[in-house]
Amino acid sequence: MNAIEIHGLRHRYHDGTEALRGLSFQIAPGECVALLGPNGSGKSTLLLHLNGILPEVPPGDGSVVIGGAAVSPRNLAAIRRQVGLVFQDPDDQLFCPTVAEDIAFGPEQLGLGRAEVAARVQRSLAQVGLAGFGHRSTHHLSHGEKRRVCLAGVLACEPAVLVLDEPTSDLDPRGRREFKAVLRSLPATKLIATHDLELAVELCPRAIILDQGRIVADGPTEVLLADEPLMLAHGLERPHILHHHHPHHHHP
Amino acid sequence: MNLQFHQLPAGHASSVIHRLPAGVKLGATLGLVGGTVLMPLADQWWFAGTAALLLIIAGLSRISPGFLLTRILALSPLVLGVALVNACQATGRSHWLGVAERSLLCLLTVTLAANTTPFSGILRVLQKVRVPGLLITTIALMHRYLFVLADEAGRMRRARASRTFTRTRRFQWQTLSSVVGQLFIRASERAERVYEAMCARGWQ
Amino acid sequence: MHIPDGFLDGKTAGTTAVLSVAGVALALRRVRLDLPPRKIPLLGLAAAFLFAAQMVNFPVAGGTSGHLVGGVLVAALLGPSAAVVVVTAVLTVQCFLFADGGVLALGANLFNMAILNSFGGYAVFRLVARCLPGERGRLTAMAFAGWCAAVLAAIACAGELAWAGTVAWAVGFPAMATVHMLIGIGEGIISALVLLAVSRTRPDLLAENSPATPPPRAGEWLGYGLLVVLGIAIFIAPFACPWPDGLEAVAARLGFEHHAAPVLSAAPVAGYRLPGIHWAVGATALAGAIGTLTAFALALLLGRLLARKPSPDA
Repeated sequence: MNAIEIHGLRHRYHDGTEALRGLSFQIAPGECVALLGPNGSGKSTLLLHLNGILPEVPPGDGSVVIGGAAVSPRNLAAIRRQVGLVFQDPDDQLFCPTVAEDIAFGPEQLGLGRAEVAARVQRSLAQVGLAGFGHRSTHHLSHGEKRRVCLAGVLACEPAVLVLDEPTSDLDPRGRREFKAVLRSLPATKLIATHDLELAVELCPRAIILDQGRIVADGPTEVLLADEPLMLAHGLERPHILHHHHPHHHHP
Repeated sequence: MNLQFHQLPAGHASSVIHRLPAGVKLGATLGLVGGTVLMPLADQWWFAGTAALLLIIAGLSRISPGFLLTRILALSPLVLGVALVNACQATGRSHWLGVAERSLLCLLTVTLAANTTPFSGILRVLQKVRVPGLLITTIALMHRYLFVLADEAGRMRRARASRTFTRTRRFQWQTLSSVVGQLFIRASERAERVYEAMCARGWQ
Repeated sequence: MHIPDGFLDGKTAGTTAVLSVAGVALALRRVRLDLPPRKIPLLGLAAAFLFAAQMVNFPVAGGTSGHLVGGVLVAALLGPSAAVVVVTAVLTVQCFLFADGGVLALGANLFNMAILNSFGGYAVFRLVARCLPGERGRLTAMAFAGWCAAVLAAIACAGELAWAGTVAWAVGFPAMATVHMLIGIGEGIISALVLLAVSRTRPDLLAENSPATPPPRAGEWLGYGLLVVLGIAIFIAPFACPWPDGLEAVAARLGFEHHAAPVLSAAPVAGYRLPGIHWAVGATALAGAIGTLTAFALALLLGRLLARKPSPDA
């Protein structure tokens, strides 16, 4: 049974433009897949379909199946337990005043008892390397810390599938390294939408390239990203890490 | 009342007063304020006693006296203004003294409470006294996004100032009002995204 | 204007608390029933927006825009009940965190600024917008409604202070009314300008254009209307009547015309007594009418200035 199965997914924006034009792909449990594509290709729109936030007015066009269960208005709660979505702007996701409260939000919505919630908060903080940050105010964190708290908040719900939207944008090199290390340590199925092509090569064996709402390529990351004409044709480029004789090549 | 965001009370230092539970502090605040407002002026023992208690608490809380003073002075012009007006009335003087006394004591009480209580503590107390959830969510989100919006407003203003070559008042009004308009639009769009983020983590 | 603690006595604080709890409860109920869940975070964000907007320093004769409330603006954008909830949130936090507005006076401040200002202003907005069409009408309506809201809240405030015995009506009313007639101009202009900016960029965000914010029902109009009328009956009417004697007496005793308070000397119609008219109430009414008509005229002018001219070859 696949972790994620998409068939013929379509979506239109309010103004009529087609955001997604019939997407189909599968992701097996435990895979780590990079979702690449230029701005406006529909990456964020696709991600919002994975936990039922879109379509706004169901049923949509096409099917989304998570762990064998089709996404429908009736099982949204169950789907959102399975799929943890980390949004692009951490400020949108950190809507509670303190770190501990924010991470506790998900488990509390799941109806867990106080002791279990507290335990999950501590575990998630440790997983992202922010042990002891519970009492800190969400506004006064560095950008990298905010992103890690967002991830912790999603991990506290213990989802089977992790979906991340541009997780390393705006991060300084250290923040990026730390986040990358955290991601690498997580066993969940991962789908990462990103512009950070180096990250894609370092973390994700498989890549899906989206352009103008269609999948234009789906295959091993290193092969796809080394294909310069393909990259340039879809608003991307070959990352430095794949240039020959790159000092970091083979040392991700 | 124009207060800057960095003056938003943090309540995170660690004195005896800070460690008291929020409910105790808010209850005491209510009691002191209520008493101060309702006690007849003749009972000066109450006012003297309250003042002494507040000074002790201020001392224990280790908040800098300068800070407390600036806060109270920032709010006093109104008190002084009304006091002035009152002083010109025939019944004036003693009445004025009473108003000023009550006002300043209450100001000090609330300022102390606000600066020794973290915001989440206040929210929890509100929840316990059965303030409707909708209002609490609104207050919580407001507090959370104050800084974010203020930062955005600041950035927009600086960006516009960088492209401003005239300083006519009319232009300033136009610029500032479009900044404020943009701020509302961004706030609306962010509200949509916050809704999605809340749903994504199971909010009903 | 936020009333601090110590300015209101028990009965005034209690009465206003009852009125405002009723109003806020009505607003919360309506919002819970009518507002779709998508828009609930918008209440918090709108409150943050109001707070942040109050911090923006408009160059107003050296002052700041911190006196402005913005309730009418939010009402035009989200509906009146949502506006009541939003302003309540702002005032509550200002009271408890900043001591801006007394704790026991919260009832009065809520009544003046969350209910009177937001709802009263909204009523004026809808009324004027219905009479004057198009973008120009809407801007005029907003400017005038903002002004009215500020003045109405100020008058109620003066009434509450008088009922509590803190500031006599004869002194408080002219002071508050005059100052807020001036402040109201600022609130009107800024509200109109911001409404313009929003309606040009995202017209779908206006309450009247958004299916998510239905127009207020009869029950809402009735409920808030009742509260407004009660407020006027309790805090304003009793003072407007005995005033002729009060003003004469106070004026005689203190030489009121020569009062040094800068606020009064700034009023174009000093002390609300037009020369040659001895009947104080008549003079007040006339001065009030002149002030209101002037404000409306200014609002019309603003609407004309700001609205897009219809293109000649449409």
